[in-house]
Amino acid sequence: MARDIVKRELTGAARWRLFLWPPLLLSAALLILPQASFVWMSLHKNLGMGLVSPGLVPDNYLRVLSDPFYLGSLWLTFRLSLTATAIGLAAAFPTAYLLARARSRWISFLIVLLLISSFVTIVVKVLGLSLVLGQEGVVNQFLEWIGIVAEPLRMLNDETGVVIGLVQYTLPFLVMLLFSVIQTIPASLEEAAELHGATRLSTFRRILLPLALPGVIAGALMTFNLNMGAFTSAVLLGGGKVLTLPVVIQRKIFLDVDYPLAACLATLLVVMVFLFNVAAALALRRTRHPLRTP
Amino acid sequence: MKALARLRRQWFFWLVTAAVYFFLLGPIVAVALASLEGKQTYHFQFPPETFSLAWYARIPQKYVHALGVSLALASVTATIATLVGAAAAIGIVRGGPRYREALQAFFNLPLQVPFVVTGVVFLQFYNQLAILSGIDFLGSLAGLVIAHVFVTIPYSIGTVGSVLARANPRLEEAARTLGASEWSIFKRVLLPMLKPGVFAGFFYAFIVSFGDVPIAVFIASGGFVTLPVEIFQSLQFDFEPAVLALSTLVVIFSVLLIVGMQKLAGFDLVLPAAKR
Repeated sequence: MARDIVKRELTGAARWRLFLWPPLLLSAALLILPQASFVWMSLHKNLGMGLVSPGLVPDNYLRVLSDPFYLGSLWLTFRLSLTATAIGLAAAFPTAYLLARARSRWISFLIVLLLISSFVTIVVKVLGLSLVLGQEGVVNQFLEWIGIVAEPLRMLNDETGVVIGLVQYTLPFLVMLLFSVIQTIPASLEEAAELHGATRLSTFRRILLPLALPGVIAGALMTFNLNMGAFTSAVLLGGGKVLTLPVVIQRKIFLDVDYPLAACLATLLVVMVFLFNVAAALALRRTRHPLRTP
Repeated sequence: MKALARLRRQWFFWLVTAAVYFFLLGPIVAVALASLEGKQTYHFQFPPETFSLAWYARIPQKYVHALGVSLALASVTATIATLVGAAAAIGIVRGGPRYREALQAFFNLPLQVPFVVTGVVFLQFYNQLAILSGIDFLGSLAGLVIAHVFVTIPYSIGTVGSVLARANPRLEEAARTLGASEWSIFKRVLLPMLKPGVFAGFFYAFIVSFGDVPIAVFIASGGFVTLPVEIFQSLQFDFEPAVLALSTLVVIFSVLLIVGMQKLAGFDLVLPAAKR
């Protein structure tokens, strides 16, 4: 009897599994065919005029890995992404905490605003940033008016601008992610700690942070990945001077029409992002979830 | 009351939250206000000098066309991605625990690839396809749709999957015990439960496709350039004040879409999916 039910459930599961095949085939085709032709392309030499060499050669990779310009660009991309991720986390965590813990009618309104910010296309937000942060923008006018700065601060057309743009791009997603993480942590744990005389700092350090850590790391990785691939803010707020890898790739395609080298650089970017994620996943595996420790 | 008192003490959190909201919404508001400035020459002034809606009447034709392209692209992409994603989610969640994690990881791969790379990848793929088979996807709506479907499938798998994981499988068993055929279980039990997840997935795919620059900038050309790419090019090369008016309209459209979505699916669903 019990066996019968198990058997029946299995056939049910097997039937549902049929649903998998069309998406699986489509996704595999869209993933493998283009990527394969792409890596294949990266192993050719550019002969100019859109022509490429017939044989497979590692020249592009050797060239990229020995040229300080490309290595510098990779390092710049990495550095800016990491900076923007750190700033994003520092801003998003307190915000998400407040949204998750406050019991107010306004919270759902604040979340709608967050959604709006995340759904407005990045070009519009970058346009807004360049209006506000320029040398004569409102932010500088305000800072001069209250007397913090004597001269307009330079916030655009350099690395600062790019980092601001990256934070603008990823912050709403990060807040939403951390919000849903913190919501799953019972507030009673913090109250209990405080009742037992823990200071707020130690409650944060020993209760909240360890419980939220897996979510925080997942959010940091998501943000980092988005930052590594973002180029809208780097192009528009970097003033053409901040050459992160995505910007260099775009230039190789549009200005130099050097497809093989662009393919090589893009492959390098994917590999870097992938390695960073694997490394983080391995590091995460070691930090156990505190509630699950026996 | 106690919770409130605790929050009162947390002035630091309020300060950060206020700064975050100011930072996130300020630029959007600035665009909207600047679009009302009659003497606009790429600047933002508060309060505006001269109020006028003149720029709204002066939006060049190419942007109107691009808006049409973007809307068509986002609708078609979202429809396909939602259908494919919902099927995948049913298979993953209801198909038994074997391979579940591997399948999830596989279907999430498109989000691990930086968008710029996806753009370049599809550009080269279409180029080679055109050489090999003569079918040219570059500068066509189909080319854009294929690339966007690729990156948006994970979103609808996420939303439909999270609804399905929460739905009670006993309902399906009960229907089966009562003699329902697999088809009517699917149509009358599973599908109605999935509805909010399907809406949320559609919504996500639509928004991602509608707002995308890094992919579309490589494969959109000729008659099929999307609106964000047009705005991007305008900001990069020659700024037109009418872009401010246009951007404001895009913002208003996004707001309306969110409100509509809340009515259809509720935030409960939109939020967990947002983590991707």
